[in-house]
Amino acid sequence: MSLVALPRGSRVELGIGDTFAMAGRNVRRILRAPDQVVFTLVSPILFTLLFRFVFGGAIRGLGSINYVNYLIPGIAVQTAIFTSSNSGFALADDRGNGFLDRLRSLPMARSAVLIGRVLTDTISNATGLVIIVIVGLAVGFRPHSVPGLVVGFGVLLAFVLATSFLFALVGLYASSSQAVNAATFPVIFPLTFASSAFVPTATMPSWLRAFANHQPVTTVINAVRDLTLGNVTAAQRHQLFAGQSTSTLIIQSLLWTVGIGLVFGYLALRRYNSTNL
Amino acid sequence: MEQAIAGGIQPEGSSAATGTRPGAAVVVDSLVKTFKGDVRALDGVSFEIPTGTVLGLLGPNGAGKTTAVHVLTTLLRPDSGRAWVAGIDVLANPEEARKHMGLAGQFAAVDEGLTGMENLVLVGRLNHLPRPERRRRAAELLEQFDLADSGTRLLKTYSGGMRRRLDLAAALVARPPVLFLDEPTTGLDPRSRIDLWAVIEGLVADGTTLLLTTQYLEEADRLANAICVIDHGRVIAEGTAAELKSRLGGTTVEVVLPDNPTAARALAALEGVGDGDPMVDGLTVRLATTTGLATTSELVRRLEGAGLDVSSLQLRQPSLDEVFLSLTGQEPGRGDGSDGSQ
Repeated sequence: MSLVALPRGSRVELGIGDTFAMAGRNVRRILRAPDQVVFTLVSPILFTLLFRFVFGGAIRGLGSINYVNYLIPGIAVQTAIFTSSNSGFALADDRGNGFLDRLRSLPMARSAVLIGRVLTDTISNATGLVIIVIVGLAVGFRPHSVPGLVVGFGVLLAFVLATSFLFALVGLYASSSQAVNAATFPVIFPLTFASSAFVPTATMPSWLRAFANHQPVTTVINAVRDLTLGNVTAAQRHQLFAGQSTSTLIIQSLLWTVGIGLVFGYLALRRYNSTNL
Repeated sequence: MEQAIAGGIQPEGSSAATGTRPGAAVVVDSLVKTFKGDVRALDGVSFEIPTGTVLGLLGPNGAGKTTAVHVLTTLLRPDSGRAWVAGIDVLANPEEARKHMGLAGQFAAVDEGLTGMENLVLVGRLNHLPRPERRRRAAELLEQFDLADSGTRLLKTYSGGMRRRLDLAAALVARPPVLFLDEPTTGLDPRSRIDLWAVIEGLVADGTTLLLTTQYLEEADRLANAICVIDHGRVIAEGTAAELKSRLGGTTVEVVLPDNPTAARALAALEGVGDGDPMVDGLTVRLATTTGLATTSELVRRLEGAGLDVSSLQLRQPSLDEVFLSLTGQEPGRGDGSDGSQ
């Protein structure tokens, strides 16, 4: 039994069809429950308003950078990571109610369920990012250039596609979607808050700063932030990005993306394919 | 697995080279599966289902019924043993085997967030049916399962019986020659159960081979050509319902007496009638027999001779429930509906 569909005859073609069928099914379900989509965007919008208007004035260490331009990339990354955990919830539900057993007994590509699920999160994320940018623009966010914004969000979408596999793996082990929540929140919370998302890491105590500066979420936020701010001076670069260049930030983000995607993609596929699921 | 063949466990008439066996749509050979904590869910189970027939797999909760179905449907890999569905080795070639089977079960594995039609079209697409065929087949099945009017409604609005019918319909989308139904009517109301039975009988009439696990012996009695009773992962009895019933000593003559002294006198008067000693249970005296009418007339003669009157007298076959009770020491259908195998 092969782990992924091998390129033999029309197997790849069938596998791609199966993947789109699964993604289509997931998207259809999301469109049926628009209230849930709205709900998942309420919190990032509130965070945007809270940090922009309540806390933002007190945040120091940004020099000439407008805080709202600092904030929006952080909000975008945090929201996208939370959204990528939908894979975990959805797979835990499908497993719990026996739907995965039905799918596993069909002559379909087994990778299609996982990849279709992860693609669905990516579609949700692309949509969510558009809304965050619109809200951001309304409260003063001004990206330096459209290409910078597009490339930055491309880096982000690739990263959260990889984290979707991580959450998918959790979902395939969890006994329920509540258990997914219990397992993922303690991971997501420190990774997104002990990062450069809302405040520069320079103001953190040294032990926390060491963690924040070297964890992947900070790297991705910094890459997106660098690309959307544009024209970052050497002093600002030293202050905000530990002196790392734009290309270094992008390459590091992509390395994290590939590493997380390969490891957790492999583990999740192996788990889905395991005959003791 | 190879040792099993070398050891001569494989039944006669089989072809070891291909694993295909003429006339048998499902072959299960010495399956063993142990779960964590040393639970031996399957402990050397073997059985065969001739093409076009129904095998009822009976057993108390945790006997290994669901585990056996999961092995056959490629969801679970056994520790040892072999299994073939439609002539295909499910362990060596699971992807091919899945093209020839349908699975429906107690959990109604359908998508709550889709309509009935969308569920069936999705399954058709994942079975790689051509696009127009998917919709045609889905509409046909909705019609057949009396769901045509509800096809455009979300499954959330379906009753339990409707959901179970749709689940069965989903298993039939690709017209599989072999169907596995894991407790298909558990938890259904009697009306829905009878409806589903009629549907299943229709499928069997069309030539589908069926493995049915159930806790309802009435269901097995009605639907199954042959019954295989498993307990603690082992096959403990096999045969038709009639054969299993006759194992319990065939017919019982049952006399109910009006009061205790009469019952005591009747017991004495019936010494030597029937096979074995008469058994008394309160006011009821039971005689096991293989020659029902002769025993009854002898019994009536003896009781008349002793001047005893009776409240009731009847000849009865053992029920499948009694067979089950005597085989497993457990009452059927008293569980929570789960096999508890995982």
